[in-house]
Amino acid sequence: MGLLTQSNEQYYGSQQVFVATAAQTQFTWTGGADRSNSAYGVNLIPFIDGVSMSNFEVYINNVKIDQGPGAGKYQVSSTNAITLGTGSTLNDVVKILLKDIKAGKWNNHDTYQYVSIRNIINNFKMAYVGDGKLISRVNRADIIFHAKRSLQEFSYDTLKSTRSQELTVPSSLSLLIPQDYVNYVSFFRIDNAGVQHPIYPSNSLHQSPQQVPVQDGSGIPTQDDAADNLEGTSITNERWGDTADYKISGAYTDQMFNDGIYDWGWEKVSLGQRYGLEPQTSQSNGWFNFNEREGKVMFSSNLANQLIIFNYISDGLSADEDMKVPKMAEEAMYMYMLHAILSSKIGIPEYIINRYKLQKRAALRNAKIRLSNIKLQEIVQVMRGKSKWIKS
Amino acid sequence: MAINVNTVYTTVLSILNKEQRGYITPFEFDQLATQVQLELFEKFFEDYNQYLRMPRTNVEFASRIEHIRNEFQVFQTNNNASAHTANTYTQPVDLHRFGSVNYNKGFNSPEIEIVSARDYTEQTLSPLTTPTSDFPIAKYKQDKITVFPSVTNTYTNNDVTFNYIRKPANPVWGYSVGSLGQYIYVPGTSQNFEISDTQQTEVILEILKYSGIIIRDPSIIQMASQELQQEEVNTKR
Repeated sequence: MGLLTQSNEQYYGSQQVFVATAAQTQFTWTGGADRSNSAYGVNLIPFIDGVSMSNFEVYINNVKIDQGPGAGKYQVSSTNAITLGTGSTLNDVVKILLKDIKAGKWNNHDTYQYVSIRNIINNFKMAYVGDGKLISRVNRADIIFHAKRSLQEFSYDTLKSTRSQELTVPSSLSLLIPQDYVNYVSFFRIDNAGVQHPIYPSNSLHQSPQQVPVQDGSGIPTQDDAADNLEGTSITNERWGDTADYKISGAYTDQMFNDGIYDWGWEKVSLGQRYGLEPQTSQSNGWFNFNEREGKVMFSSNLANQLIIFNYISDGLSADEDMKVPKMAEEAMYMYMLHAILSSKIGIPEYIINRYKLQKRAALRNAKIRLSNIKLQEIVQVMRGKSKWIKS
Repeated sequence: MAINVNTVYTTVLSILNKEQRGYITPFEFDQLATQVQLELFEKFFEDYNQYLRMPRTNVEFASRIEHIRNEFQVFQTNNNASAHTANTYTQPVDLHRFGSVNYNKGFNSPEIEIVSARDYTEQTLSPLTTPTSDFPIAKYKQDKITVFPSVTNTYTNNDVTFNYIRKPANPVWGYSVGSLGQYIYVPGTSQNFEISDTQQTEVILEILKYSGIIIRDPSIIQMASQELQQEEVNTKR
């Protein structure tokens, strides 16, 4: 039996059309199964008592009707089912159409490449646990634990789990760390052409303090009524925010040009006038650093009101719909779980554990190669640069 | 297929009456039949456990595991909770052996894992193993299960479905009294043995064994016991 449970209409059109019988009131969207069955565990048309769902629309004979109680309207009566307030006429065409938003059409697509953690757990239990199998008995909680741990580990270095946000840096020069943030990958400033320019960590230049105790005249931290140290605002951060970026990067400003600070003729640039610049800081894209104390990312002053892209990694467990694994890494996850469970059980021969240790490594290596997405055609395109002459 | 209660009763009487050894009344027979059926019924599960730990064959008609499963499949049934208070559900009244329980509020009605109070605490303390509606857990005590997570305020008996073994109905040899004071079999008021007819020999021998005690005839007890022992040895070999 094939794994696809949606019709072409449900997937490509994100809609389901019903030809009503006389006085029919209930219509059930059957296309929720792709996501709920094999992918994520989220129904496309969920039923939440007392809440209007806004991710889909209902049409009768191509006329949109409103959601709500009463005649001429419809309500979500249970998961994936709508009930009309007025019974249909025979051969009325009732259409449920997902809207062009994340909770609608977007969620309906891009699902087949993933398998949900729930299915991973169920598949694992079916295939590897039971009477006469490698693991005769194991608590389901143990399987769930190792499945989620493996998803976390895989998220850090194997899966394509990088997330990104497009943000505008406010004049306060700080942004909240994303809710599911685990580590950053990169920051880019986006210019007017939409091209990205890397922003670098401020590292040796500046860092946000983790504590800013308020000191008395003798330098001793002072306490509040609850006997905890009083926290002040960071002067380091203030100074960093006030600093003009060019003073560090050595960037050439319009004012410098007008004032004729440097003789900036092209023939002199290569003569060493800027000799001695620190390459690490000689960039004008800007800097960022993490303010652990406030849970924020801080940016240098030249990035105020600039558009940035923030790439980061999560652990894949932040929300139910995130708990998914690319099918390319499914086998690696089973092997990880198998090895983890076998090696934590008493009485399993060491050669069995070693066998699955090797299997785990091999499967993980395979998964990494598969997910690294190396395509010969793309490599060839890059290698075409070899034919370019480099002048010396 | 069930064992006809009249066949068993008449066979037992035929053996007992040979050489005028004795007689058991329908009332005594009903009691013995109930006792014997329960004994054999309980033995199914012990045998099943033993067979699971023995070498097996998949050849049809030769698999002891399949055979024993067939013996108790007629008693296997599903039912929703018989009552509930919030997320605590009372098991069905005819539940004899608990099998599993499913959570109908989760997608595709996942199985609820029964855990001890200690395991429950440990699992809920770990964020990774906290129960979800896809992987629910329950504490089972005093014929009730308390299901976690408790995700909604609306609860019904249909939230959970028990898969269990019910107790077999007590066999009854129904009768009316004839003009000569004789007992006449009445199928309409009778209840056949519910265990399968492959157990008919054992049923008759077991009833004979107990009948020997009633009529105080050691030779009957000895004969029936030897036969049963021989059969037991053969099936467990």
